[in-house]
Amino acid sequence: MPRVSLKIVGASGQGINSIGEILAKGLKRSGYCVFGYREYPSLIKGGHASYQLDVSSEEIASTERTVNILVTLNHHGLQKNLGDVKEGGVIVHAVQDWKFSESELKQLSQRKIRAIFLPVDTILEKLKAKAILGNVLISAFVWALLGRDKESLKALVAERFKKKPQLVEANMQCIEEGFGFTDPAGAVSIALPPPQDRWKKCLLITGSHALGLGAVAAGVRFFAGYPMTPSTPLLTAMADMQNETGMAIKQAEDEITAAQMVSGAMYAGTRAFTTTSGGGFDLMSETLSMNGIIENPVVFVVAQRPGPGTGLPTWTAQADLLMTVYTAHGEFPRAVIGVSGSADAFPLFAGAFNLAEEYQIPVIVLTDKQLMEGLYTQEPFDPSAVSIRRGALVTDPAKLAKLSANDRYDPATKSGVSQRWLPGSEAQTFCAQADEHRPDGSSTEDAAVSQAQISKRLRKGDALKAALPEPEFFGSKQPDILLIGWGSTKTVILDALRDEQLQGKKVGYLHYSYLWPLKTDTFVKLSKSAKKIVLVEGNAQGQLGSLLRQESGIEIREKILKFDGRPFFYDELIERLLPIVSKS
Amino acid sequence: MSIPLDSSGPQMKDYASSQMCTWCDACGDYGIWTAIKKALVELKIHPWQALLCFDVGCHGNMADKLNGYRFHGLHGRVIPFAAGAKIANRTLPVIAVGGDGASFSEGVGHLVHAIRSNYPIVFILHNNANYGLTTGQASALTPKGQKMNVSPNGIPERMLPSMDFVFSLQPTFVARGFSGDIPQLTGILKEAIAHRGFAFVDVLQSCPTYNHFATHDYLLEHCYDVGKEGHDAKNFEKARQLAVDTSQRIATGVLYRDEDVPDFCEELVPRKGKTTELIEEVQSADITRFYPEFI
Repeated sequence: MPRVSLKIVGASGQGINSIGEILAKGLKRSGYCVFGYREYPSLIKGGHASYQLDVSSEEIASTERTVNILVTLNHHGLQKNLGDVKEGGVIVHAVQDWKFSESELKQLSQRKIRAIFLPVDTILEKLKAKAILGNVLISAFVWALLGRDKESLKALVAERFKKKPQLVEANMQCIEEGFGFTDPAGAVSIALPPPQDRWKKCLLITGSHALGLGAVAAGVRFFAGYPMTPSTPLLTAMADMQNETGMAIKQAEDEITAAQMVSGAMYAGTRAFTTTSGGGFDLMSETLSMNGIIENPVVFVVAQRPGPGTGLPTWTAQADLLMTVYTAHGEFPRAVIGVSGSADAFPLFAGAFNLAEEYQIPVIVLTDKQLMEGLYTQEPFDPSAVSIRRGALVTDPAKLAKLSANDRYDPATKSGVSQRWLPGSEAQTFCAQADEHRPDGSSTEDAAVSQAQISKRLRKGDALKAALPEPEFFGSKQPDILLIGWGSTKTVILDALRDEQLQGKKVGYLHYSYLWPLKTDTFVKLSKSAKKIVLVEGNAQGQLGSLLRQESGIEIREKILKFDGRPFFYDELIERLLPIVSKS
Repeated sequence: MSIPLDSSGPQMKDYASSQMCTWCDACGDYGIWTAIKKALVELKIHPWQALLCFDVGCHGNMADKLNGYRFHGLHGRVIPFAAGAKIANRTLPVIAVGGDGASFSEGVGHLVHAIRSNYPIVFILHNNANYGLTTGQASALTPKGQKMNVSPNGIPERMLPSMDFVFSLQPTFVARGFSGDIPQLTGILKEAIAHRGFAFVDVLQSCPTYNHFATHDYLLEHCYDVGKEGHDAKNFEKARQLAVDTSQRIATGVLYRDEDVPDFCEELVPRKGKTTELIEEVQSADITRFYPEFI
């Protein structure tokens, strides 16, 4: 699959994101599938950050370690990122009078890499333009380098500055200059594969925004959250949409508050959620348990980053699976759903609210920095695919009138799911009781009643497990090599399976979206016929592997694990898969 | 006493639970329990119309000793749960109840931000100056030097000046009651329920088992009704002074109220002009309106 990649590096706050966004949008509109990936340190200004775009005319949602074009806004990029450029690639920089060392020059020449100095400062001075306009100038030069037409970029930039018309003219001049500049050593270009119309109508969207739209479609009306990277983009997305959605948004004083407010709002009868990362979720775990016993539907989003402790705040991980499955005291059912990209973030998140209400349980939606900040080329979501199911919620006045307080936590129900009704409903009242309780919520320490209530609640987990779909299978039917994974590694695995190096091999991928309760029938069946099972996870212990062994008795010995804060890169994953595939 | 005799509104018996009270004899909780029910009845609020949220502690055991939609959650966390419920459905009168341990130690941050946010809920502080249910440990409101369980040598810490602290947060409603004066407390609670924003009601209560320093008799002797002495509840400085200085007498009644400060829900821009509650709006909303920014 032909791919082209370009990376913009510079100091945080220097404008690399804005160049990345302009180019990403321009390429998508020209008919390319684009995947955007950011790396940045946990600080606001300075540090070394990057924005990489991987581009193809075919479906793509992964990042390569090396790039065809490196754009660097400062000299650090020229020192640190030379090795990231592919043979035959181009470096564009804006560092006046930069001199490469002898060995660097030799390296560049051997690998046929062209380094082009774009005199950004001189051009801006000539135009009497502000430094920030350098971003458009650089974008224009790269746009020309990719063989794109000037007018499409002008249209895009004009749109971007729609609300600041006084800046449009200067931007247009910068585009002219960017297109007009030719390196003294001669023109150069990087060829893109022929575009495809199907990408033009797609959305260019982060995982966070896909989740946010899922919440809106699911009828969420209240959001409370406390900022924590990498969950903050979702908080931002909800807040930014509030004037259109009419949603009530609360930036809470801490994570416990956010979790409790959302619990109260769900108990009252609206749909609400909160979002946090691992450390914040630790603080919410007592509230999770509380919702377990009062049988209150509630939805938590956990955006993973590497821990323990503060860990690597701005990097990615898949190391909180076991935490979300096991955290919080006592035995109660819950659902853990892993989203893998913009495509399933929307429907799975919207569906999370249905599961929460249908089973009256906490639902945890696991995501990670890779998804939250990853920029995906996404078919427009189908809003009609989202249905709102509220389970055993009683709202009809005639039915309410017939309810007994003992219906609320009736332990006799086969599925364990009992009727639920809302404060303010004209009916008999009950207590949402976090002490062990009788069917009406009055507290008790009676042995038989306690056991019956614990069993009632756990039966909901059994019912949920029976209703959940099996994991999704991709790739060669009856695979020799069976890959197993979850979360954001899905898109890189699927990209890798489409690579020509893996063609003709019988490789399949089993992807778990529903991580708890864990269905194992398909896994067991495939395991029997596969010659080799390989676990691919972004953690050090193979956490899904542990759960699979616990639930099926099958131990996965072959593991491709990564736990350095970075996602699996496309070429890296292929490199790690090839020896396994070729041996079998 | 004004228990309504007409049968149109709720009666005290509608709030009666079949569960037996489990508090110690002479516990102040009985008085607060009665005043809450009386206030709701006198305001003609039916049990199904109210949401009563309880923290954990002796007072929290009230959760099943009366009717109404109730919630009995975690220690220290009752305020944000109650606030979340209220934001979702502003038509519900929401009363949150917590003790001094939950409110000035475990969950003090929630109290701070509830006052700051001015959530339109009532908060009743069961103030018995100790942790009763865990058998008589000191709370932040126990006087320094007092011997308590876990503090055989007396408490080393100074007492937290709770009223001064609350007033420092610019509250919009502060009242103090006494569990031994049910009629007055009923009146205070009715005013608190009617308040626009966050109503903080400090109820001094006896704890016959563990509090041997501020007993029922002591409180009976020291409490007086500021309403009867012509206190102007609009006077912030005077209210603060009355609330803080308990050296000679203890001021009770509505000490301060300001009805001019909008509550949290009123301040939410996206909710301006909305005539429905969040609980009535759970339906799939249009997402395609957001597509242009992503195309």
